[in-house]
Amino acid sequence: MIDWYFSHIVLIQSTFTTLLLALSVQVPLRAGVFSFAGVGCYGIGGYLAAIGMVHYGLSTATAILLAAVAGGAVAYALGLLIQRLTGLYLAMATVAFTLIISVLVVNGGDLTGGASGLFGALGMLDTGHLLAVVVVVVAALTFTELGPLGRRIEAVREDPELASAMGIDVARYRRATFAVSGMLGGLSGSMTVLLRSTVTPDDINFHLVVLALTIIIVGGSRSWIGALIGTVIFVWMPEVLAFVGEWEDVVYGVLVAAAAVYLPGGVTGAAVDGYRKYRRKRREAAASPPDAPPPQQAAAAVGGDS
Amino acid sequence: MAQHILNAVALGSVYLVFALGMALAWSTIGILNFAHGATFMFSAFTAHVITQQVALPMPAVVLIAVAAGALIATLTQVLAFGPIMRRATEHRAAELRILIGGIGVAAIPLAIAERVTASAPFGFRGSTYQAQVFEVFGLRMTTTVLVIVVAGIGIGVGVWRWLATSRQGLALRAIGVDSETASLMGVDRATLALGTMATSGALAGLAGALLTFQLGAIAPASGDQLLIKAFAIVVLGGLGSMGGVIVGAFVLAGAETFVLAMNQGTWVDAVSFGLIFLVLLLRPQGLFGRKEVRRT
Amino acid sequence: MTSSALAGAGAGDGRDAEAATSVLRADDVAVHFGGVKAVDGVSIVLTPGRLFGILGPNGSGKSTLLAALTRLVPLTRGRLEFEGRRYDRVRPHTIAARGVARTFQTVRILPGRTVFDNVALGAESAGSGSKAERGRARERVRRAIERTGLSGKERHRPDELSYGHQRRVEIARAIASEPTLLLLDEPTAGMNRQERDDITGLLADLRAEGLTQLLIEHDVQMMVDACDHLFAMNFGALIAEGEPEAVVRHPAVQEAYLGTQGRAHA
Ligand SMILES: Nc1ncnc2c1ncn2[C@@H]1O[C@H](COP(=O)(O)OP(=O)(O)OP(=O)(O)O)[C@@H](O)[C@H]1O
Ligand SMILES: [Mg+2]
Repeated sequence: MIDWYFSHIVLIQSTFTTLLLALSVQVPLRAGVFSFAGVGCYGIGGYLAAIGMVHYGLSTATAILLAAVAGGAVAYALGLLIQRLTGLYLAMATVAFTLIISVLVVNGGDLTGGASGLFGALGMLDTGHLLAVVVVVVAALTFTELGPLGRRIEAVREDPELASAMGIDVARYRRATFAVSGMLGGLSGSMTVLLRSTVTPDDINFHLVVLALTIIIVGGSRSWIGALIGTVIFVWMPEVLAFVGEWEDVVYGVLVAAAAVYLPGGVTGAAVDGYRKYRRKRREAAASPPDAPPPQQAAAAVGGDS
Repeated sequence: MAQHILNAVALGSVYLVFALGMALAWSTIGILNFAHGATFMFSAFTAHVITQQVALPMPAVVLIAVAAGALIATLTQVLAFGPIMRRATEHRAAELRILIGGIGVAAIPLAIAERVTASAPFGFRGSTYQAQVFEVFGLRMTTTVLVIVVAGIGIGVGVWRWLATSRQGLALRAIGVDSETASLMGVDRATLALGTMATSGALAGLAGALLTFQLGAIAPASGDQLLIKAFAIVVLGGLGSMGGVIVGAFVLAGAETFVLAMNQGTWVDAVSFGLIFLVLLLRPQGLFGRKEVRRT
Repeated sequence: MTSSALAGAGAGDGRDAEAATSVLRADDVAVHFGGVKAVDGVSIVLTPGRLFGILGPNGSGKSTLLAALTRLVPLTRGRLEFEGRRYDRVRPHTIAARGVARTFQTVRILPGRTVFDNVALGAESAGSGSKAERGRARERVRRAIERTGLSGKERHRPDELSYGHQRRVEIARAIASEPTLLLLDEPTAGMNRQERDDITGLLADLRAEGLTQLLIEHDVQMMVDACDHLFAMNFGALIAEGEPEAVVRHPAVQEAYLGTQGRAHA
């Protein structure tokens, strides 16, 4: 077990940081905001943390905090700027924002280290720290998924006009998702860089956007559990698929395409659907005997004790 | 100066053919094909593999790439996008899944090409084609550039006019505007989608062959870069406007060539990203797009 | 019969007297979509505790007027006031939070959520997070579900409900917010006789409790029976208003609306 842990420590740690990155895209998407600003903030956070440590000798915690706050602030400002956009147009504007960051850091001179990036930003981080951050984030997100807040966020996503007719300030929710997404991106980026000790412009690329998106679509976009499942799948797939050797990327492509076709709600969506079908069957079975209570009451009885 | 303009026109022609294919599927049947870049690359790659076996003249190489592009796009439609469109209940959900499906499909040809070439650039060295260099008005021209510009502008204008005036074009645009009305008009969505995707793929293949002839070689990963440039072009021109794509392609090529000419090579990529961002910020419907009328 | 049926132009009579007691007033409201003048210069005043109705042929602008009153479409011109406060500039969620609830002509409920959750969406929107407030919200939900005849279906999802029951969820969600003003866009569309009677009974009860309501329905007889005051619209304009029987007999209304649909009731 200990051996396994040490030989897989890189994968374990990148599971946590990748999960935060995926969440930075999932949080807005859950409110119907198709934004990749979180990935741009991953880059901003990564560079800020590296600059802070290399040029200004910040402590690990300060560097991460700075990255998260800056990411949140930048994303919030971006959200204000492009709040008119929705759907694919919003997605594209935020992808462009992300890629512009990568061009900016190439041209950032000594501050960003230009095309070769920055070295020697090794933070004092271990798996325990990562786990703690992830647990706090997940706990906070769970709160936004359950109860009244969860319902309101769902209304904002499914039918913004209905939501505002219900007294929900849709624009405010959208702006909030930008800020949260930026903070998560900043966290993920800074921690990734401080674990690796280096950051280069190539680390912020279109594939990162694609990775975050595929993780949540394959895992499921409605809950952090989906993001976790997706993250585990994509971070660990190279390890698991080692037997297919060089054809790993082909298998990856087939899996992603198949998930898009056959799993509309991702892995978690399929699980939830299956569970509901099973429950409905049981309910119908319970209601069918002739002397059973009328269907309505039986349904309430079955539903009520859940 | 004039040489730069010529370069920009050649580059713009390739952009045009590529972006036109993407815009065609996107603005009519609502498919934003993320595998369009991979289709582009793999068509050229197919032609590359064949020219290594048989020495072929330029037209044959181009034809192979076009056919390969059409085939890849058709397969993508049949195996991925078609099933998604049939299963999805509402368009917004389908849109996202089509995006992901495209990403998945794109990974497959990329992986194959990267494995075979070990990620190194490939070209048509096996082809019998030799570019001729000549001078017109003091400009250095090659036959390749001539072919590219003629093909690019010819096809660009051709597709644009065809969509605007022909019966099939009208049907396609009807689907783009309102698929319900279109199906009432007796337009068969599935068949049209297949035909559109094949055409779109053929354009990607053509762009692949042209760019490879122009540059001598392209890398397997070049498809993704082009994809983002095509976004920029479509956004700039305005979704739904083929004329806009023509303008957008040459504006982007002109701007990139200008940045290069100013010796600001590291900023070249910022042109397309910046264009996407600025256009969406200031004029989301693009230069020539229609303003969306949303009905509740 | 105090205000006999009169053409829209005369709707300003006695305005000052009503102003003090009006729940809602709309002045010269217009909503144009490009060239389409969906609503074009409508003025209405809703006084407390009464059940108002809007009649009008398809496409006459009834739903668009409701959207204008709830700020879901931008006004081309006009002025809106709720309980004496102007609101034609505020964003839609504020007016909802002030106590205007509505239902939609097409069922708009969250597909993945249970009946309980959907109704709770209405009950909680104003709510703070305190435990007592959450308890009160639950109670409002329970009561709304009971009053709309959805008891026993709390845990059902929309796809397990009949169309009529889905409509009831719409209504339950609106009344769960305990509004000051309730706007209903064809709440009984697609329901059978019995179900419609249930709903009109509910609306009458709500009226007896003092709730102000504005109801859109196509069934003329039902509207005459249910409403205290009718507005008739055609081509985006108010063509008549007043006491129901009189509005229905008004020549302009006969021509616009009853000419095609009213025969059966004559
Ligand atoms: N978002 C919109 N964009 C453009 N035109 C619209 C829009 N909404 C409504 N209209 C048009 O405005 C007019 C009034 O529509 P509205 O839905 O208000 O009528 P209605 O009286 O509610 O009809 P019905 O009885 O059929 O519900 C119609 O001609 C309709 O086509
Ligand atoms: Mg209506």
